[in-house]
Amino acid sequence: MDIRENLAQIGEELRKELEGAEALAALDALRVKVLGKKGSLTALLRGMGQLSPEERPKMGQVINEAREKLTALLDEKQAELARKEKEARLAKEAIDVTEPRPVPPMGAEHPMNLVLNEVLDCFTSMGFSVVEGPEVELDLYNFELLNVPKNHPARDAQDTFYIDDNVVLRSQTSPVQARTMLKQKPPIRIVCPGRVFRADEVDATHSPVFHQIEGLVVDKDVTMADLKGTLDAFAKRLYGQDIEVRFRPSFFPFTEPSAEVDLTCFNCHGKGCRVCKGTGWIEVLGCGMVNPKVLEMCGIDSKVYSGFAFGIGVERITMLRYGIKDMRLLYEGDLRFLRQFR
Amino acid sequence: MKVSMKWLKQYADIPVSPAEYESRMVMTGTGVEGTEPVAPELEGVVVGKVLTCRDHENSDHLHVCTVDVGEAEPLQIVCGAPNVKEGILVPVARIGAKLPGGIVIKKGKLRGVESQGMLCSGPEIGVPVELYPSVGTAGLLIFNEDYPLGADVKPIFGLDDTVIDFEILANRPDCLSVWGVARETAAAMGTELKLPRIEVKEVGGDIHDFAKVDVLENELCPRYAAKVVKNVRIGESPAWLRQYLHAAGMRSINNMVDITNFVMLETGHPMHAFDLDKVRGRHIIVRKAAQGEKLTTLDGKEYALNGTELMICDEQGPTGLAGIMGGEESEITENTREVLFECASFDRASIRVTARSLGIRTEASGHFERGVSPATVMDALNRACQMVNELDAGDVVSGVIDCYPHPVQPVTLTVSCARMARRAGVEIAPEEMEEILKKLLFTVSRNGDEMVVTAPAFRQDMEQEADICEEVLRYAGYDRIPITHLRGETPMGGLNETGRREGELRRQLTGMGFYETMTFSFISPKSIALLGLPESDPRNQPLMIRNPLGEDTSCMRTTLLPGLLKTLATNIKNGNENGRVYEMGTIYDARNRTEDGLPTETHELVIGMYGDADFYAIRGVAEALCRQAGIAYTVETCDAPYLHPGRRAALISDGKPVALVGEMHPDTAEKFDLTGRVYLAWIDLPLFFSLSAPMGEVKPIARFPAVTRDLALVMKDSQQVGPLMAALRNGCGAMLEDIRMFDVFRGIQIGAGNKSVAFSLTFRAADHTLTDEEITRLTEKALKISKDQFGAVLRA
Repeated sequence: MDIRENLAQIGEELRKELEGAEALAALDALRVKVLGKKGSLTALLRGMGQLSPEERPKMGQVINEAREKLTALLDEKQAELARKEKEARLAKEAIDVTEPRPVPPMGAEHPMNLVLNEVLDCFTSMGFSVVEGPEVELDLYNFELLNVPKNHPARDAQDTFYIDDNVVLRSQTSPVQARTMLKQKPPIRIVCPGRVFRADEVDATHSPVFHQIEGLVVDKDVTMADLKGTLDAFAKRLYGQDIEVRFRPSFFPFTEPSAEVDLTCFNCHGKGCRVCKGTGWIEVLGCGMVNPKVLEMCGIDSKVYSGFAFGIGVERITMLRYGIKDMRLLYEGDLRFLRQFR
Repeated sequence: MKVSMKWLKQYADIPVSPAEYESRMVMTGTGVEGTEPVAPELEGVVVGKVLTCRDHENSDHLHVCTVDVGEAEPLQIVCGAPNVKEGILVPVARIGAKLPGGIVIKKGKLRGVESQGMLCSGPEIGVPVELYPSVGTAGLLIFNEDYPLGADVKPIFGLDDTVIDFEILANRPDCLSVWGVARETAAAMGTELKLPRIEVKEVGGDIHDFAKVDVLENELCPRYAAKVVKNVRIGESPAWLRQYLHAAGMRSINNMVDITNFVMLETGHPMHAFDLDKVRGRHIIVRKAAQGEKLTTLDGKEYALNGTELMICDEQGPTGLAGIMGGEESEITENTREVLFECASFDRASIRVTARSLGIRTEASGHFERGVSPATVMDALNRACQMVNELDAGDVVSGVIDCYPHPVQPVTLTVSCARMARRAGVEIAPEEMEEILKKLLFTVSRNGDEMVVTAPAFRQDMEQEADICEEVLRYAGYDRIPITHLRGETPMGGLNETGRREGELRRQLTGMGFYETMTFSFISPKSIALLGLPESDPRNQPLMIRNPLGEDTSCMRTTLLPGLLKTLATNIKNGNENGRVYEMGTIYDARNRTEDGLPTETHELVIGMYGDADFYAIRGVAEALCRQAGIAYTVETCDAPYLHPGRRAALISDGKPVALVGEMHPDTAEKFDLTGRVYLAWIDLPLFFSLSAPMGEVKPIARFPAVTRDLALVMKDSQQVGPLMAALRNGCGAMLEDIRMFDVFRGIQIGAGNKSVAFSLTFRAADHTLTDEEITRLTEKALKISKDQFGAVLRA
């Protein structure tokens, strides 16, 4: 038989057998059968000795080309089978990815701290330092230095808990302002978060313990417009760029002029809804320019310096933020409530 | 502060819609709580004339009437009132009419006869006797006057009015009056203020022949003024006056008493009317009560006085509580001949203290507590006399008694327009400032930037330039304040150190699955006692609150544990599975005082677990927090009495317990209503923070291989593993890189009362690969330590 015919036959046989091959092991056997030391192609090469010297190189080339071709065929099949075997293994490893399994437990900070964190982030990024002060406080700092003398009716409005004649549970975070001003010379830029106390019975909107964040800035030429700008930045950062602030005249003994601050209702964005009782605005905090009398009492020259202060109720903004209807939930620690936070 | 719109509009025009008016008032500083019709529930009731009236055929008391309500056809109405008869004018509730109490009139049949409405009594349409004195109780309200048939009855009774409820700020007691609100209204609306001109017709005589007043407490009563009215003609007040009082929520009594109430509502000055004949000696003495003195007030209640109260007295004793309530003794009656009107100013603190201590609150005391200006007393007193003239209620005697030793001087301030504009941050021209202040009845003289401003007498809240600035700004408009940003050097802001560290702890606990809780800072002293701490423990002596809401909130917490245990109990009771909670907060130490003499406040962290938890889980939490803070500790048993005696431990660092952990003692658990096993950790935060260390330099990654040897050691069951491991760490030196315990086995194979503990020891040298000899030497050393110090031997 002509070598070419032999080659064609070997190729034909291999193709046929490759088609049937399904395992990598069978493929290895085929490789040996054709290309191995005793393989059919190797046998042809051996038969080259019988050829004439002219024909030998030609046939050598033919056989080598055929060898490369057959090797490629085998390699291709091998790759295919390897892929198939891997696919089969992966298919076998498939699991029901929808089956429930335990999830590492994650807790949450108290909702008021979640909100407080945001608020403090906002003010610290504006250069405010966080300062804290005692919760059991001298009457001097809680009232007197804040322009609320003894028997002032403003003391009634916030029924105060007393330890003795001179010591109270602070009814506001403002005493921290007074303490700071007495200690530190302007410029002052602080926020004071903390717990405050008023003798209110517990109900859905009152608690004898609650939290405030007080802000104070004292410097040269601080204006009410700066106050509005600061609170505007705060409101936009916390509730979104479309939130506006509105000032309404008000009265606090330690600020003059004073204002109540409304924010665009963040539920309806000003259109009017149940949350804002149809007004489009939500009352969120009180503020004003620090009363010059307070500055003077705290040893700051009111002719040189001016300042502003604001106070935010943490419970209120937390309840607004999460739609909490009953303040008691914040102090009960019921996990059915707390587990909703993240 | 509720004000009748009719009354208000008498003094200031309101040419805008109610909504616009409210908004203008709110934006100039007079809050509005709401507006309500005086009679919100009365609609469709008209004047009708009974044309015919016959007996009902099926009833012995009902009548069938035809009633003309001004329409072509009369209505047929069945009526059961005994006083119904032909020819009378009565209120008729037509079909669809609304009556107080949510009643809607429907067409119906009464005992077979159709009725097209209802004839009404006074109570049925919400008209009390003070609005229509002949309203009677006998049945129908029968009109005494002629009215057009079919006319709405509301205007007849003055019930077509609305009442606006203003929220007056604490610095504006002058606005607790119709005049005050009218002044703000006129300024806000830009309309003319039309307050009445006060003129009094006097009949001669001299008041000093009628009465004498001595004020012994000038500080508590800076001004006491009186006028006398003789030939008093007590009677009913005219309808308009009764209606104004009704709208303000007050009852009409008689003309003289009504005048005092009217003047209080209109001017904000509480007044009192004395029956002068009953003022013994016709001599009024304003003094403090004598201790033990008694007074029966107008409402018939008797009060024993402690000697601090300011009293209005006559020559024989008290006749009234100054500024709060008059006495029964000198009350105005039908027989009163002569009246002394009192209009005074009392110290607000004194009134406040007395009203609070006696538990009385009246309109008058409310005004005085908020502050009544002595300067405007005479206006109110004269207004009352003018009303006496107008109502012809008596003859005003000439002269006035006015005890006013230290007249209040008008407040005059020199202010800078530029400085005020700068404070406000708004460009407001000096001309505009001047105009605003004049509108608010200030006297202003301006010279360029400088203004000299005199506040009107009724304003007591003007003390400094900042106050004037607020007046200007609220009428220039708070909306005009622009948004600007703080200038100057921006300081480095940031959290305080404690806040930052506690934030880290919170985040770590969040990662470990714990939820933060908050409880009140005050608790019951009993709940501290339930912890069973030794008597000497300072936590047993909490700071007590003088005026607590109740026993359960009467002391400041000395530990967060009671609060946490309450939270845990709530959750267990509510069936919440696998509870993991913590609280971080302030505790108060009454025994250690700060330099201000205040109790020391420190923070504490308490953690609680139940459900999927055990002793080692809670200890692990505390350990994780310590490791994260770089605190080295050893675990030892502890003696916290609220923890299980066999399952409690302290993490000791630097010789001090930085944390206590354990399972709750069943006795304590029971006391706090806790069921099942509960695990607690308590962390001393100040100590924790003082021990925590920032991370240092990193160690290079080891270049030479480690070798691990597992050893199973048999020892007494009572032998703690912790000290053994600590000894191995110490004894084997730096080449013992790690030691882990991975199994504990108990069984008869190793003998009763014994346990076999399996350890895995990892050895490594930093600078070479360990040789077999080195490893053997190290292992033998470990075994020797175990045997010599702990009696632990290699398991056979």
